[in-house]
Amino acid sequence: MAAPLVLVVLAAVTVRAALFRSSLAAFIAERVEVVSPLSAWKRVVEGLALLDLGVSPYSGAIFHETPLIIYLFHFLIEYAELVFMITDVLTAVALYLAVQDFNKVVFKKQKLLIELDKYAPDVAELIQTPMDMHYIPLKVALFYLLNPYTVMSCVAKSTCAINNSVIAFFILATIKGSAFLSAVFLALATYQSLYPLTLFAPALLYLLQRQFIPIKLKSKSFWLYTMQYASLYLCSLVVIICLSFFLLNSWDFIPSVYGFILSVPDLTPNIGLFWYFFAEMFEHFSLFFVCVFQINVFFYTIPLAIKLKEHPVFFMFVQIAIISIFKSYPTVGDVALYMAFLPVWSHLYRFLRNIFILSCVLIFCSFLFPVLWHLWIYAGSANSNFYYAITLTFNIGQILLISDYFYAFLRREYYLTHGLHLTRQDGTEAMLVLK
Amino acid sequence: VCTSRFWFNYRHVANTLSVYRSVKRLGIPDSHIVLMLADDMACNPRNPKPATVFSHKNMELNVYGDDVEVDYRSYEVTVENFLRVLTGRIPPSTPRSKRLLSDDRSNILIYMTGHGGNGFLKFQDSEEITNVELADAFEQMWQKRRYNELLFIIDTCQGASMYERFYSPNIMALASSQVGEDSLSHQPDLGIGVHLMDRYTFYVLEFLEEIHPASQTNMNDLFQVCPKSLCVSTPGHRTDLFQRDPQNVLITDFFGSVRKVEITTETISLDRDLAAVESKFPKDELATEPLKYAEQLPVAQIIHQKPKQKDWHPPGGFILGLWALIIMVFFKTYGIKHMKHVF
Repeated sequence: MAAPLVLVVLAAVTVRAALFRSSLAAFIAERVEVVSPLSAWKRVVEGLALLDLGVSPYSGAIFHETPLIIYLFHFLIEYAELVFMITDVLTAVALYLAVQDFNKVVFKKQKLLIELDKYAPDVAELIQTPMDMHYIPLKVALFYLLNPYTVMSCVAKSTCAINNSVIAFFILATIKGSAFLSAVFLALATYQSLYPLTLFAPALLYLLQRQFIPIKLKSKSFWLYTMQYASLYLCSLVVIICLSFFLLNSWDFIPSVYGFILSVPDLTPNIGLFWYFFAEMFEHFSLFFVCVFQINVFFYTIPLAIKLKEHPVFFMFVQIAIISIFKSYPTVGDVALYMAFLPVWSHLYRFLRNIFILSCVLIFCSFLFPVLWHLWIYAGSANSNFYYAITLTFNIGQILLISDYFYAFLRREYYLTHGLHLTRQDGTEAMLVLK
Repeated sequence: VCTSRFWFNYRHVANTLSVYRSVKRLGIPDSHIVLMLADDMACNPRNPKPATVFSHKNMELNVYGDDVEVDYRSYEVTVENFLRVLTGRIPPSTPRSKRLLSDDRSNILIYMTGHGGNGFLKFQDSEEITNVELADAFEQMWQKRRYNELLFIIDTCQGASMYERFYSPNIMALASSQVGEDSLSHQPDLGIGVHLMDRYTFYVLEFLEEIHPASQTNMNDLFQVCPKSLCVSTPGHRTDLFQRDPQNVLITDFFGSVRKVEITTETISLDRDLAAVESKFPKDELATEPLKYAEQLPVAQIIHQKPKQKDWHPPGGFILGLWALIIMVFFKTYGIKHMKHVF
């Protein structure tokens, strides 16, 4: 399996190198869908230049990256293109290995459940076989590397690529079962952008499952393991934050990075939902609505944890998708990360109901974004409402995609345990409805 | 400069024309006056007495006579045009009458009236000039040697805010009201139907009517015009940027064009050495040493390049801590036995 992966990696690197050399690089680097105030390369360069002039990069509202990024790019700024290409490749390889391991886990679990007779007799066609699952890791790497969103993110040198790679390594560490590494990478991911905090729950659930610790609130081993994992995570987070203090000898980065993410002062349009609302809101409501919008991101964790406690990796997928839809400054790079996982659930294809219309919506909206931006900003014949409409449609498309996958997943699980041909009490065929 | 349009701002046009009239009467020709009126009151369809602009009720004084030459009229009175006139950045096609052709020996009087607020003056109900812009324009004038001394009079609400930001030398400023106060208008004329003048300018006009080209009245008297009892608002003035003592500044230095002419019958040969000729001129009352233009620009600082800053390096403790952590994580995951592979 290594050879096709190497081939895919080479193809991806070629595409990116070609785009870097072309004139499109400058055009893509300033598109608001690809870069946000949090991840723009222009701002990283500006911050490092300010540092060279002896000024803290966090003074003023330009630079919102964490000190570790400053450290990374201080030495690597000459090779920035290479760094981003390598980051993408690393992410893809991490995802590849993670999904490979995950497939083994799924297969083992399936075998166990078949032997325990937990499945209904007529669900043979729903069971995944190793033959089907053989190419999934390659497809995941392919989906990530050759996704136009990822390519654009890489060409724009958006630091979203680094966020994605940290999250990918976190997923790899979790699936391999190493609680320590998983906690360290989760702390790094949270440190980079605040939202991966919500990935704590699925990671914990997966590790508990791996250790065969039942998830009961009364169980002592459950609480013990949770405390261990939580303390590992919190300690590493604290250590990383304290270490960042020593880079510039100031705590300036906390309001600049986390305060910025949470309070959304910059209302540059992006593909998210925050900017339009807050542009037209009265000042005295903005605090309330900022809180509402931010809680919206974190809110789905607990209900999903309760519903999906047997399937933590799917939970992780849904959680990553929710983060990238509802975060304060989303870019297409975040979208690319969860889209990379779609091949893992390709066995759900027969249960997806809206996949055609949703893919059409997503593709159309991706093309309409630059068109309406041009009409609004340059031609002056549209206004922000047009762009906002496309943002809304794009996000609705994403949300429907996730909920479609969610429904398909649950439906498959139900069929697995209750049989494919459901009948009501009186013998007629029954329909499964998501309540 | 009158900056307001519409019939009910009749008084602003009347204010400006009153000062214009005084200034012309005291000897300054039209070629040396730039008059900007934002609206036409004399020929306004609502004017019951066409071709006149009165400044006193009972129609005692028509300030719109036969020889009023308006240089910027109606929509030409904009902030941009005003600043261009002041700084001289005018397109080459502008006629001479629309230019301020001053040099470094000219004393300039600027009178502005209209609606204003704290720090701004409204032009034509659509734009504003701020006190900062005005101060910067005056500084440009100073650096381009477009004035010797400048007297700035403003009659608007909160007029004192407009001269707060001046920082160029040789400027004296008067305003009709302090920050937070409104300038009020004088009586209305029931025959015309609007207020004819603003109080401050009314009393300034009364004061100026007493001045003739040879009068020795000085600026301190102008400062006393329109006390609070008559004007309701408190007029303000600013003289800290002015080199001479206001006591010694004649009104006619700004409002009139007065030349001291001495008739002599002896022949004077104009030779290179002008020292003998200079002693005939009255001594300047400059107490401080005259400001030279060259000192305005900090040339020494500009020419001197700043030494390049040293590049920033992350502190050693940080690098040490980071790599120690990374190595710790590495060995915790993979175990100590792999150390021999590393080394």
